[in-house]
Amino acid sequence: MRSPYEILGVEATASAADLQKAYRKLAKKLHPDLNPGDKAAEEKFKEVTAAYDLLGDVDKRKRFDAGEIDASGAERPQHRYYRDFAGADQGHPYADASGYADYMDSDDAFAELLRRSEQARANRRGRDLHYSLSIDFAESITGAAKRLTLPDGGTLDVTIPPGLVDGQILRLRGKGAPGTGKGGPGDALIEVEVRPDPRFAREGDDISLELPISLSEAVLGGKVRVPTPTGDVTMTVPKGSNTGTTLRLRGKGAPHAGGGHGDEFVKLKVVLPKGPDPALEAFVETWDRKAFNPREDGAS
Amino acid sequence: MNKQQFLNNADVEVHTLEFWIEQQWLIPDRTTDEDSFSDTDVARAHLIHDLKGDFGVNDEGIDVILHLVDQLHGLRRAFEQLQKDMQGSPR
Repeated sequence: MRSPYEILGVEATASAADLQKAYRKLAKKLHPDLNPGDKAAEEKFKEVTAAYDLLGDVDKRKRFDAGEIDASGAERPQHRYYRDFAGADQGHPYADASGYADYMDSDDAFAELLRRSEQARANRRGRDLHYSLSIDFAESITGAAKRLTLPDGGTLDVTIPPGLVDGQILRLRGKGAPGTGKGGPGDALIEVEVRPDPRFAREGDDISLELPISLSEAVLGGKVRVPTPTGDVTMTVPKGSNTGTTLRLRGKGAPHAGGGHGDEFVKLKVVLPKGPDPALEAFVETWDRKAFNPREDGAS
Repeated sequence: MNKQQFLNNADVEVHTLEFWIEQQWLIPDRTTDEDSFSDTDVARAHLIHDLKGDFGVNDEGIDVILHLVDQLHGLRRAFEQLQKDMQGSPR
């Protein structure tokens, strides 16, 4: 019986890297699935993998070199090779006639024979079809039902899950090209683009918005209407609010993966009336804190 | 066999399986609601495993090899059919 070193064609002093290199070189040449017609390849391949399983394991190699174990019993668990199935009579989805498709085109008996054989085996999954769809920002947060018109005139109903992000790909199982035999249809893959909304920005599951308010709403407080992805809501601006004051509308953001929703953050921005306003000027002239300097706190 | 049985028999992780199906290296039977796998799929998974793990073939290489192996089997099958037909026909 040849020693595992002889089988792999290496010296007994070979390094682990040399062993792997030698094994890969032989295994690539001998793998039964890469030699479907060579019955001897399987035996040789087994011999080579058994040798490598022994020598490739540092501990086993040490014990083998010390004479504690012999080369037997190192076989891998048996499994059947792809070649045992790929040539079988019944159709399977991997059957491929492209190696001889050109021979099938003629009218002779040989071509007829090939066509018959191909038909019996045709059993392949349909292709995945790729589509794109664009939706509004609000729809990306709340979810939506969309209908996609296909190039062939057909339609596809697409459910947009709440909280979808720009560029996300939705897979509709079985909505791709039809397959043949038992292959079944492929899937439809829909890349969804979210059209930006100038009012909203999204950060994770939260969204933010800048809301202009008047001087009197800032100073005296009041109720204002605020847009959210689910429509306008009324929000109370507290007395004495300022530019930069951020208010939170709970649960108006995108859904969290584990339940619940993100929030909408409303950042206030105080806006004075456009153009000169004589009444406002006259009032500020009489305001007793006209000399108030917001930069005194160190802000420049 | 169903997906779980396949994962056990072929000794692959679920993410790996999903990737292989996406690449169409494996094509489960989808005529029923649940993906169903055959012994052919298990044997093919072992081949992919050997190519990737033992031989260091990258994903592009797997595509090429599987395609050529399938073509080779197609040719063998056609050849076998031809042989049968010639044996059956009068000389």
